[in-house]
Amino acid sequence: MAKNRKKSPIVIKLKGVKKRYGVGDAEHNALDGVNLTIRKGEFVAIMGPSGCGKTTLLNILGLLDQATEGEYQLDGTSVATISASRQARIRSKTIGFVFQSFNLIPRLTVLENVALPLTYKGMRRNKRLSLASTILKTFHLNEREYYMPWQLSGGQTQRVAIARALVNDPSIILADEPTGNLDSRASHIIMEELSDIHKRGNTIIMVTHNPRLTTYASRVITMIDGTIDTDTNDTPAADQEGTLAKRSLGKVTKEAEAAQ
Amino acid sequence: MKLLLLNHIQNARDSLRANRMRTFLTISGVAIGIASIVAILSLATGASQIVANQVDEAGGTIAVIRPGAPAAGSMNDLVNQQAHGTITTSTITLSDAAHIATLPTVEAVAPIIVLHANITSNEDAVNQGVVVGSSESLLDISGVKVSMGSFDTTNENIITIGMQLSIDLFGTENSLGKTLTIRGQEFRVGGVMERQHNPMNFNGFDFNAIALLSKDQILRLNPTAQIQQVNVKVDSIANLDATVIKLNKDLLARHGGEQDFSVLVGDSIAEPTSQLFLIIAGVTATIAGISLFVGGIGIMNIMLVNVAERTREIGIRKALGATHSDIIWQFLIESLLMSLIGGIIGGLGGLALAFIISLFLAFDPVITWQAALVAVGTASIIGIIFGLYPAARAARKNPIESLKQQS
Repeated sequence: MAKNRKKSPIVIKLKGVKKRYGVGDAEHNALDGVNLTIRKGEFVAIMGPSGCGKTTLLNILGLLDQATEGEYQLDGTSVATISASRQARIRSKTIGFVFQSFNLIPRLTVLENVALPLTYKGMRRNKRLSLASTILKTFHLNEREYYMPWQLSGGQTQRVAIARALVNDPSIILADEPTGNLDSRASHIIMEELSDIHKRGNTIIMVTHNPRLTTYASRVITMIDGTIDTDTNDTPAADQEGTLAKRSLGKVTKEAEAAQ
Repeated sequence: MKLLLLNHIQNARDSLRANRMRTFLTISGVAIGIASIVAILSLATGASQIVANQVDEAGGTIAVIRPGAPAAGSMNDLVNQQAHGTITTSTITLSDAAHIATLPTVEAVAPIIVLHANITSNEDAVNQGVVVGSSESLLDISGVKVSMGSFDTTNENIITIGMQLSIDLFGTENSLGKTLTIRGQEFRVGGVMERQHNPMNFNGFDFNAIALLSKDQILRLNPTAQIQQVNVKVDSIANLDATVIKLNKDLLARHGGEQDFSVLVGDSIAEPTSQLFLIIAGVTATIAGISLFVGGIGIMNIMLVNVAERTREIGIRKALGATHSDIIWQFLIESLLMSLIGGIIGGLGGLALAFIISLFLAFDPVITWQAALVAVGTASIIGIIFGLYPAARAARKNPIESLKQQS
């Protein structure tokens, strides 16, 4: 398994990424030189105290925000060279967002919410809705299709949000505290869903406060003060392989760079 | 892109439905503005066509000769139009008229002499009534019939009056045999003209309100009375152009080469009246346009509220892959939809209004495709202009900030 991962391509690569907020005395770096390489198929959990820059990092990864300094390569292309509308297309096609506060549009039904990302791919309404319906079925929510978001429980709402993130078949899922507003039972269900998605080969990057959730991840990164503090593979079953993988990761990265 | 447009339309419809009351009020703002413009334009078009229609009804064989050089059609001429009685000395004489009558292609000639005088009866009086002197052909050319009695062409003091004048003077439509006084001379009513429904016509007076005399009779009242215009009826349309050329040539020769008259045919007979109406309409429509402008501000206001209320939605959409232009289109189409619906409702409402108003007027409003185009076109321009700023504001929103906002 470690070998497979070693060969899988690099999806995300950050080099010395900094994000500065404020001006003058109020100036501070939310991110202060982050170096990170994430490969296809990884399930990365990012941990850390409030204000350490987790969400900022996730926003930059998801192209919602731009780094002040440093380079971010997505699928081998530096995002600084990509135009705003191309970035929007990338968000539409390769990135799926899951938010802590779900962020469904309240005046649209569950089905329409799930179909929303397909709109920006220019898909016909009927096709959109049928695709959304199919994906809701895999989350056992097909009976709730015509509910409004406020008629759902927190766990259901987040499952709808995950379904929405997946409907475009993105290669990267970015989840910002997906279980932050849920009780432990609902959290468990959500994590099982994410775990399933991961097993199907998707890359997942999840920000969380809850150390127990990291058991689902294949790699855990802890951040502090805008930098990466520790970066380990915490997968319980593959402790040793994980360390190996981490070591060889640097090598492959260099090789990959040489190859380019 | 086309599919996206369809999406935006569906989307806009949904979001407009979500706020029915607000949408309704905003739309009515635009609709009122459009309605007033359409009503004014269609009434003005109707008014400006009355005179032209009369010329057409007469078979298009009428030429009108008026004293004075041909108008250049400038605003100045329009303002200084020759009103009745202001011409001290007409350049056209009765002998000109007599000569015209001898032309072979001319079927009928009616020189028109107009006087303003107080008309009194035993019961009532009309101040500054219009007294017209002409030949019997005037009635033929203008399509006016004498319903009671007949037009007297003899030299006796017998007069023919309009229906309204008869009512004003005698309180009855049938005033045959009664007497009235003009400038101290007594006239016996020998005929009453049928009620006419075209107070504005190319003769410049309303047949309902005139007292009609023969040329000789009116010259007895005032020997220096001047010819206002000469109506000429040509025997066929085919001969009209040739006759006009002939008229110009002969009159020019008779007037010693001085172009002090103008021979008008077709629409140019009606032009002074039509132009005046259109200018009045233009001014009124501009004023009505202010209400449309206010409607546009209403749209902008509501769209700004919409954008503010849906900040979070904009953030979500951006995170899910909406581009800058997707967001712009979403809101622009929403405002466009409102203004277009307003335009259509306003257009129909304006026509309805015009028809209701026309019940009290002497002419019908005219529906033209131009009016429809103006309604829909102006509405969509308003929608775009006043929707652009809110839409751009929505698109400029930072997705992260938007997502943080509570809603």
